[in-house]
Amino acid sequence: MTIDLTPRGTADGSAVITHGLTEVMVDVFGPKEAKLRGQTSHDRALVTVEVGIMPFSTGERRKRNRGDKRILELAATIKQTFEPVIQTALYPRSEISIFVHILQQDGGLLPASINATTLALITAGIPLTDYVTAITCGVYSTNPLLDLNTIEENDIPHLTVASLPRTGKVTLVAMETRLHVERTAVLGIYVRRLIRAAADPTDVTIQEDALTDVIKHRLNIASLLFLWTVATATGDFDNPDVSVRKGP
Amino acid sequence: MITFASFPAPPPEHNAYGGTGRYPDDADEMDIDDGDGLEVLGRKLTSPGEVLTSSHAFMRGHGTFVDNEEVIGSVTGVIERVNKLISVRAIRTRYNAEVGDLVVGRITEVQPRRWKVDANSRQDAVLMLSSVNLPGGVQRRKVESDELQMRTFFEEGDLLVAEVQAFFSDGALSLHTRSLKYGKTLSQLRNGQLVTVPPALIRRLKSHFLSLPCGVDLILGLNGYIWVSKLTKASEQEGEEGFDAEAVYSNRNDDIDDATRAAVSRVSNIIRILAAHFVPLTDAVILDAYEWAMEQEGDLKDLLSPDVGEALVTAVSAHR
Amino acid sequence: MPRPPSPSIPEKEFLFTSLKESLRLDGRQPLEMRAPILTFGPDLGWVECAFGKTRVLAQLDAKMVKPTPERPLEGLITIHSEISPMASSEYEPGRPSDEEVNMTRMLDKILRRSDAIDKESLCVLAGQRVWHLRLTIHCLADAGNLLDCACLAGIVAFKHFRRPEVEVVGEEVIVHHPSERAPVPLSMHHTPFCFTFAYFPDQDTPPVLDPSYLEQRISAGLISVALNAQKELCVLQKAGGVPLTQEQVLAVIDIAVNEAVKLDWLVTQRLAEDWKGRKVEVR
Repeated sequence: MTIDLTPRGTADGSAVITHGLTEVMVDVFGPKEAKLRGQTSHDRALVTVEVGIMPFSTGERRKRNRGDKRILELAATIKQTFEPVIQTALYPRSEISIFVHILQQDGGLLPASINATTLALITAGIPLTDYVTAITCGVYSTNPLLDLNTIEENDIPHLTVASLPRTGKVTLVAMETRLHVERTAVLGIYVRRLIRAAADPTDVTIQEDALTDVIKHRLNIASLLFLWTVATATGDFDNPDVSVRKGP
Repeated sequence: MITFASFPAPPPEHNAYGGTGRYPDDADEMDIDDGDGLEVLGRKLTSPGEVLTSSHAFMRGHGTFVDNEEVIGSVTGVIERVNKLISVRAIRTRYNAEVGDLVVGRITEVQPRRWKVDANSRQDAVLMLSSVNLPGGVQRRKVESDELQMRTFFEEGDLLVAEVQAFFSDGALSLHTRSLKYGKTLSQLRNGQLVTVPPALIRRLKSHFLSLPCGVDLILGLNGYIWVSKLTKASEQEGEEGFDAEAVYSNRNDDIDDATRAAVSRVSNIIRILAAHFVPLTDAVILDAYEWAMEQEGDLKDLLSPDVGEALVTAVSAHR
Repeated sequence: MPRPPSPSIPEKEFLFTSLKESLRLDGRQPLEMRAPILTFGPDLGWVECAFGKTRVLAQLDAKMVKPTPERPLEGLITIHSEISPMASSEYEPGRPSDEEVNMTRMLDKILRRSDAIDKESLCVLAGQRVWHLRLTIHCLADAGNLLDCACLAGIVAFKHFRRPEVEVVGEEVIVHHPSERAPVPLSMHHTPFCFTFAYFPDQDTPPVLDPSYLEQRISAGLISVALNAQKELCVLQKAGGVPLTQEQVLAVIDIAVNEAVKLDWLVTQRLAEDWKGRKVEVR
């Protein structure tokens, strides 16, 4: 997993994140004067999200038009996820636009987009009540798997969860495959642990006075979940090693 | 497991992040009087969702919010504390205006009795017709004919320099170009080039109008817009009563010779490099950098190559 | 064209306050559904479903087509759903609204991708002939919770539908007219139902099942759970909105499990009744 927060072009904030072979780039503009003044509201900022899937992002080169329902759904989901987290009330009549570019896809499109959007919003200096961190969790018989790739996603029932690490609450849950409720509960318990782990105020203290460190530190969200996978995938599911909690 | 690619790292000897702000001394101040349970301030940097302190003992300022009786940061940035007020200043953000700031802006729209100005802020700023100097004296009443010919003063796309006059209730800026200080200068900008940098890099200076010895005028807008232009001769500056509207509100460039063009470009490039390395801009820094650049004897565009850029930043920061 | 303003402030306040006391404007309990009313049309696969004043018409038809080269052994299912201004003045013709995108995608996930219909049973002659089922959802009126209503109408339409009997002799396909041979029902793996819960900005307000129009407009987040009577979750969707704890999410699933059993029973009952009435005609 790599993260690149280099400022690019005229965007106020931008981030590129890769989860394995999935690569998502997000640019955030704003708060700025709204383009469509009719849609603005007098008491909060308008959040707009546009998603573009690059034709070269999959093995098969294929152009999707912008009206594709799948893209619109992804955009609407991202928008609804971030609307309650961004402190929109601070910027009346303004607009915050989020552009999500999917450069490569290999599963976990939604979590990658959400994680990248969080980072881009942070680099743009837009006030958020919390990080939003997302991960896909699948279950193969009784073995949980994290951050599935395309092949796994096609065959294994999976659940995408976006959580707010501070409160441990979930803002997004999406599952699209058939799974018995009891097994979902297992998955639920598992995800709950993950969330708790992410929320855990890690004892990593910031030594250096640099932004990267803060973000690294707070990115325990993703890294923790990731390390957790390793711990659980290789070892005992019931007693995952908690020592993975140390930051990167 | 996590790797970070190319985050612009400041040269270690000069603390770009901690000290870029407009209140460079805050960081030290904070350390003076803690001891009443605000250990977190020792950390200085925070990011969204991080609990800073209890809301009983402290008041929340910008960049924070209160939940569950705790003050929590909402942006990534430097924690600042003034007595009982805790605020977080974001590292990169759009321009947050204060009254009296000098800004450079661009007209986006002409509306009845007002112009809309893009000033890199959260909303377009407003310049009222009554807040500009019109031909025929400063105290002249605005008449209907002025309203009809607003585009002869400023039209869409024009650049201007103005001062923040006030805020509207929704946070939008109101600008003016009337004060005597600007009466001398043309508020309409021409003969130059606009460079955009993060607003946090512009420090509050005694004067934001700089004249470099190389024949270049510089206007450092606090909103991060910098106007680099050919030197305006004193005789051309308008201060007298009843100036000629045609000349003042003209957006035609004068003839500019090659040497001036080169100087303007060199200064613009220097500013771009400094901004890319997150070096706060002051007159001294820009002058140092310009001198260094002249010593290099390279071609104008060589400045933009990464090596030269880095050398320049090292040279400038070593100088101080 | 400016959109009509959202519910007026007093209206909102009133509703919030009453919801906080677990009172709903139509007298329901917070976790009570409106009783679905299923009406069957003259044709098989023609179902009208009503949740209070929300009404959706689903119509299913089948035709014989050549299968796609990638999946020569599977039939095709397409779902057309469009929310026209007929449902409510909120919807504009032309550009798909967020509600429409969401509904289309959810129907696709619940009815098609969850493998409710045995697609292989729709194959008549491998690589040559398969059934193409086309489900058209007409939203007649939106009084809240259009999604659940459309989903129920859709799934009942699949259960209600009968396709003509076919016979394959060598390479030749004979389709028997319904008057010759009794048409056959579709082979289905399971019947998923969708339940939508609305959450409100105030944390103390309990969530409501099957939100009415106003409740939906003022809600701060919806969670949709699709599952069948066998307690198998098919789709769980909460696209942003107010954050919930894990317990809350699991609690919602529990409620949906019970509702699904009830709804399944109701649907079976209604289908049986209708079928009884039809047998007389068929002779």
